[in-house]
Amino acid sequence: MTNGVVVKVSGPLVVATGLPEAKMFDVVKVGEQGLIGEVIEVHGERLSIQVYEETSGLGPGDPVISTGLPLSVELGPGLLEGIFDGIQRPLDVIESTMGSYITRGIDVPALNRKKKWEFKPIAKKGQKVSGGDFLGSVQETVIVEHKIMVPPHISGEVVEIYEGEFTVTDVIAKIKTDSGDIVDVTMMQKWPVRMIRPYKEKLPPEEPMATGQRVIDTFFPVAKGGSACIPGPFGSGKTVVQHQLAKWADAEIVVYIGCGERGNEMTDVLLEFPELLDPKTGEPLMKRTVLIANTSNMPVAAREASIYTGVTIAEYFRDMGYSVALMADSTSRWAEALREMSGRLEEMPGDEGYPAYLSRRIAEFYERAGRVVTIGSDNREGALTAVGAVSPPGGDLSEPVTQATLRVVKVFWALDASLAYARHFPAINWLTSYSLYSDTVEDYMNQNISGNWKELRAEAMRLLQEEASLQEIVRLVGIDALSIKDRLILEVARSIREDFLHQNAFHEVDTYTSLNKQYRMLKLILMFYEESKKAIDSGVVFSEIENLPVRERIGRVKYADEKDMKIFDEIESELKQQLKALMEGGKAE
Amino acid sequence: MSMYKIAVVGDKDTVLAFKSLGVDIFPVLSDREASFTITRLAKENYAVIFITEQIAKEIPEKIDQFRSQMLPAITLIPGNQGTFGIGIGEVKKSVEKAIGVDIIFGKEGEE
Repeated sequence: MTNGVVVKVSGPLVVATGLPEAKMFDVVKVGEQGLIGEVIEVHGERLSIQVYEETSGLGPGDPVISTGLPLSVELGPGLLEGIFDGIQRPLDVIESTMGSYITRGIDVPALNRKKKWEFKPIAKKGQKVSGGDFLGSVQETVIVEHKIMVPPHISGEVVEIYEGEFTVTDVIAKIKTDSGDIVDVTMMQKWPVRMIRPYKEKLPPEEPMATGQRVIDTFFPVAKGGSACIPGPFGSGKTVVQHQLAKWADAEIVVYIGCGERGNEMTDVLLEFPELLDPKTGEPLMKRTVLIANTSNMPVAAREASIYTGVTIAEYFRDMGYSVALMADSTSRWAEALREMSGRLEEMPGDEGYPAYLSRRIAEFYERAGRVVTIGSDNREGALTAVGAVSPPGGDLSEPVTQATLRVVKVFWALDASLAYARHFPAINWLTSYSLYSDTVEDYMNQNISGNWKELRAEAMRLLQEEASLQEIVRLVGIDALSIKDRLILEVARSIREDFLHQNAFHEVDTYTSLNKQYRMLKLILMFYEESKKAIDSGVVFSEIENLPVRERIGRVKYADEKDMKIFDEIESELKQQLKALMEGGKAE
Repeated sequence: MSMYKIAVVGDKDTVLAFKSLGVDIFPVLSDREASFTITRLAKENYAVIFITEQIAKEIPEKIDQFRSQMLPAITLIPGNQGTFGIGIGEVKKSVEKAIGVDIIFGKEGEE
């Protein structure tokens, strides 16, 4: 392999010549230190290379070596519980060998080469296998069984398969392909990050991904295999919502990409996740989580790669038949990285300086989400749900990144600065947000939670919308102008907002609410509405309903333990009793 | 369409006198009962409801409830123990609201 020479350095962009065989997206090593870079433009002799590390000290004349391989991630046991940078270097290993900051040009393999994993074969000798078929499995963590699959483009007959303890690079099986070659299969496979991992068929998302967040699950659900975005101005709680999803989402694997956001937010994840327990398995959440960190103080070009690294890892777990949730916080920082590279490449800028291909790149990312029939002969299903935060400058949703994102995602959780300012969290605005999965998800809920889920949800939404229009009137002419029924609507809507939608992420019980409890809570509030309406019709004055003692209990029911569902029956009968007493009081006295 | 009706609500001694005028009377014993009675009457095609000040001052919320509605019109009348002046105050307020100035009592700008 010939050596190239650096001719120009502009921040993370390096121009080199003298590598005639280099192709687009090949990984190259730049300078004496061997900084990792990727070819992103070929212009005759001149190659533009984006370097994933700090380029200070680099100058014309420095050597460039091409590896001839595209940027790839290593997929195999050892991914879970790991924290990697944008190009999948293990940060924990780097920290233990080099200290807190990444040394330039450091070369550490992504997966631990020395650790031995107990491999249990599933495929038998002599069996015909094709890409995606299970060869065996490794119990990677207590809750996740890591399936070892035949790499996508290999098929043939298993001629040998071993059992026992192996490292990720040891040969665990030999496959004789149709052309007669013998291929050694290891537990680790490599996959280029920019290439979509193959699947057989894409299915429409149907089942909701329960997140334990009431405003999301009840009003704006995301389906397994769907895509969602969380745009919001600074301080409106994007990161907290993302963290809540990562903690409680009903997924078997969670990939969390911290992309260009504050380093402390990743620290929070690192500190919290090992202590939090998964509600389903009772094991630490970290045992199902992969973290990709490219915080704001890390090189900008690697940020561009981090999204692809994360989504490729997520696709790999999806191929095993798992339901995977991918969080990216924030895609705006990623788009800014694209903008910086585009500017340095002297490309013609589009809106607000973003490259003209911005919306294509964003669409490509979200399109990798989906519920699919994976490759492999057993036709298993896997789902990859993508949730991206967007940080529009000044909270202006008309900027290009938000617009390009809204064009592809089907769920929009609009975070509202005024709600956050009023300490209403999660600050998801119920009037502007939407979910295009609600129809399919509602059918699922009607079948699995309760037959009248759909009506309850529609009724609650109607009350909230009515509240907004009534509040306009109140602002103009004052509350006295409203009829008693309208005042009841305001009161019930307030109850929905404060007792149902408002949820404390840092309260032990309130942080997660099961679908069943959400249903009971909503039912209770709407029951209060229906019963109060009857009471008002029979002559009870509004202030008596407003001050009904049972309302205190309705407000507190969100802190009731999940196991203690009897409390709802109690409160319901108490509510009926108190209203009945009011209604009878008028006649008896 | 049936004719609108007139009702008088109040303590027994006061409302009895109205019986001679031929309007429907509803003697009540408590504020609760009065409140429920008014709600019922409003639904039963009563267009004007007279209510004694004594009772009315105990249930201001109920009286307010009908203020923004066209029917029934609730008018406060003195009871058998004299007036509290709230009835006439209401009339004054209504006049002011309707034409902008107080033409009946002529004490503009004093309030």
